[in-house]
Amino acid sequence: MNLARARGVVIEGIEAHLIEVEAHLSHGNPVMNIVGLADTAINEAGDRVRAAVLNSGARWPDGRITVGLSPAWLHKRGSGLDLAIAAAVLAADGQLPPPAVAEPVMFAELGLDGRTRPVAGAVVAAVAAVGAGREHIVVAGANQAEASLIPGLRVTGVARLADLIEGLTGRLPPGAQPLPEPDPPAPAGSRPELAIVDCEALDLSDVHGQPEAVHAMEVAASGGHHILLQGRPGTGKTMLAERLPTILPDLGDEDALTVTAIASVVGGLPGGLIRRPPFQAPHHTATLAALVGGGAGGQARPGQITLAHAGVLFLDEAPEFASSALEALRQPLESGRVCISRSGFTTELPARFQMVLAANPCPCGNAVGNARDCRCSSMDRRRYQRRLSGPLLDRVDIQLTVHTPRLDRWSAQQATTSASARARVVAARERATRRSLAAGLGSPLNARIPGRALRGELAPDSQAADLLAQAVRRGGLSARAADRTIRVAWTITDLEGRDRPGLSQVGAALALRGLGGQGEAT
Amino acid sequence: MSTEMTDVGDTEQSGQGRAATAGRAADPPRVELTAAQPPLSPSAQGSVAPRPWAVAPQATDAERDALLLLALAVEPGTSGVEAELGEFGAAETLQRLAAGVSPLARSRQPESASSGAGITASRGHRAADLRAACPPGVRIVLRGDPEYPTQLDDLEEPPLALWVRGPLDLRMAAMRSVAVVGARAASGYGLRVAHEMGLDLASREWTVVSGAAFGIDAAAHRGALGAPGPTMAVLACGVDIAYPRAHETLIAAIADEGAVISELPPGSAPLRFRFLARNRIIAALTRGSVVVEAAMRSGAVATANRASELARPLMAVPGPVDVVTSAGTNRLIQDGSATLVRDAGDVIEVILDRDGQPQDDTLPDEAEQVAAALGRRARSCQSIAARCQMDPALAVSMLGLLELRGRATRSASGWVSTSTAAVGAPP
Repeated sequence: MNLARARGVVIEGIEAHLIEVEAHLSHGNPVMNIVGLADTAINEAGDRVRAAVLNSGARWPDGRITVGLSPAWLHKRGSGLDLAIAAAVLAADGQLPPPAVAEPVMFAELGLDGRTRPVAGAVVAAVAAVGAGREHIVVAGANQAEASLIPGLRVTGVARLADLIEGLTGRLPPGAQPLPEPDPPAPAGSRPELAIVDCEALDLSDVHGQPEAVHAMEVAASGGHHILLQGRPGTGKTMLAERLPTILPDLGDEDALTVTAIASVVGGLPGGLIRRPPFQAPHHTATLAALVGGGAGGQARPGQITLAHAGVLFLDEAPEFASSALEALRQPLESGRVCISRSGFTTELPARFQMVLAANPCPCGNAVGNARDCRCSSMDRRRYQRRLSGPLLDRVDIQLTVHTPRLDRWSAQQATTSASARARVVAARERATRRSLAAGLGSPLNARIPGRALRGELAPDSQAADLLAQAVRRGGLSARAADRTIRVAWTITDLEGRDRPGLSQVGAALALRGLGGQGEAT
Repeated sequence: MSTEMTDVGDTEQSGQGRAATAGRAADPPRVELTAAQPPLSPSAQGSVAPRPWAVAPQATDAERDALLLLALAVEPGTSGVEAELGEFGAAETLQRLAAGVSPLARSRQPESASSGAGITASRGHRAADLRAACPPGVRIVLRGDPEYPTQLDDLEEPPLALWVRGPLDLRMAAMRSVAVVGARAASGYGLRVAHEMGLDLASREWTVVSGAAFGIDAAAHRGALGAPGPTMAVLACGVDIAYPRAHETLIAAIADEGAVISELPPGSAPLRFRFLARNRIIAALTRGSVVVEAAMRSGAVATANRASELARPLMAVPGPVDVVTSAGTNRLIQDGSATLVRDAGDVIEVILDRDGQPQDDTLPDEAEQVAAALGRRARSCQSIAARCQMDPALAVSMLGLLELRGRATRSASGWVSTSTAAVGAPP
């Protein structure tokens, strides 16, 4: 027998594909060829695997070795196939029993000394293994906990190639070296990491003297409304934004799995299933590709908006972002997904996030009140404000002006804690979910109530409806602004535990509209 | 623009053959009625919700199906439909039509007559089949549906159904809409003014409604698409037919971002008399009509007259006195039937001015309390709430309502009264 096969996994976007790895030994010069659209990392695997096999005490077969990766049309990338290649070669040489090698899915990189190294995306690999009906996956020891998050799969973690050989044959290879020192924890490196806000460290009660802003955050969290925070530097815009995730409810099962998978792919090895919404705050110099996702070498790389999936994307100094980057947010805001197309591939990644924009009133940030300290020209101010106008702001339901907190209010106000706010948010979302199910709407979030429903079964009561209709006819409110107002009014209604928005809730929603109609068309 | 200018001789009449035989539309919908319609009370038909955000009393499914079949069977604008519907309701009108006892039997749509389908009670498609046969991307808005624009009820014979292509919500879009119409054979001046006006109106979120014809119509649509803002084309043929053919891309662009509507079922050809019926929809759908350029006797002037009859403000853009294309508009201004407008700002002013209706006082008492606490100096809502001895949340909500009514506004540092007489309490 000089042909054997093993199964490996390659990651693409946040999905994984099972790969069949075949090894064939034949007479000839001692070379190793890897065929099947492999990238550099895989083509280098030959040398890595050979060293690892030798240093594990096993024998490297003489002669010509051909390794075939199928399906052959798929671009394969990354070092996760090392273990499967090694196993296939050893099985073809008769050192490992071929049936036992063909059974599990293998996913690990090999060091030259024969130890295994963790690879990003173990969760995704495990999901793919389950999806393909496999029952067993072998990963690097450091990936074991991660892969074990997926139910219905037996996970074996191996610290070195020799352990795999022992597991399959019952004995260590004769020349096996003692277990090398464990790897130091992998440095975070340059990969974007998925950030989860530590609820212990941040609490809404840290915000003093801003009761309106805190309430607005609560409304935003309940309805999933995008929010714009405007105010001069130092008023606490960033502080408020960072605390939004602390009042969001835990992720549902599906979202939790997706977020964990994303974290796994970008290399932020999660300790367990991620249950808290992520919080991503890209700097305003972030490029288009960093923000929405990019790719090179036939492989998509999730951007900040994908990392913020099911969580919060915070764009501080939003008008300073490249306008192309802001424009690129429109499609994901609409569909909850982002489509990345490059010459070699097209991938769709999840990107359903809640957006928090923060902006100064002008480039220097002092155009407040009489704007005595502002050094910007009127043209500068205009240009700054205009950068956020249009289709992007159209999707922002809440536009809040954050004022400088007054010292005298600090002690007087009873601070809202994140825990109490979150309890109210959860209760409000439950009401919204029940209603959305009853009405057959797509999403449980009020921010996504379709316009038609707002004019049908989810209309506010007749007094409020009259008021809004009149305002639209008189030109005080654009039709789209009226729709946004009703969506926010529903969220306020849910928070108050009422049945249908009336004048009072619509009024409160209008007050959250910000800009005071200045930005609205007449 | 210049290509249209060279093509101005192309009227509806000469163009109809081309469009009808263009082959884009498959067979005209076959109108065959099922006899299994239960008779219903007449009151169910035509019940129209008065408000955009209110639950419309829905007609029963059977009535709606009957209405759809009627819309397919009877040529739009036929007089007498309204009377029949009022007396018998949609389902029974349909049966009377099938039985040949209705006076409407003489005004069947040419397509349904010529295709030999006729109106027979024995063979039949059901309304559900007709809905399913609707081309992709086209939706049907029936009279009485929440999306049906109530302005159309001002017509003597309102459309029974509208076929719509595009994302715009008809009722919402029609609430702030202006018709911009004019000559097909427009001058450079007219095209420029129409384009500018379309752009300005749309960028202020006023829907620009026109007929997608050559000249002024197209310039207004293009202006609105460039804003980008809402625009709506009302066609005199089925919404699946691009007429004029040269405007296929323009009409597709309008359908992408705005709405292309017609009261004629898909597949209907642009016959000459349908343009007059279409013009009445443009006039009724909008809050006012602007004629940018028109010769003495023209379709644009006809639309203008319909708008006047419907008590919609009529506006016209003046032009040089010795130019044929402005003779009609200058005349409309001279005889006082149209208001002179120069730009979008004038148009909106005229409409809002004419349409000024007294605001009924639906604001709660607390709003008056809050209004009294407002002054010229900006106050935070906490201090306003304290003055009124009111819950801050309630005060904020009342401020939102007052702002909508234009009685309060906010500055960077708090809320201010807009009333010139506001003295408020001393700070």
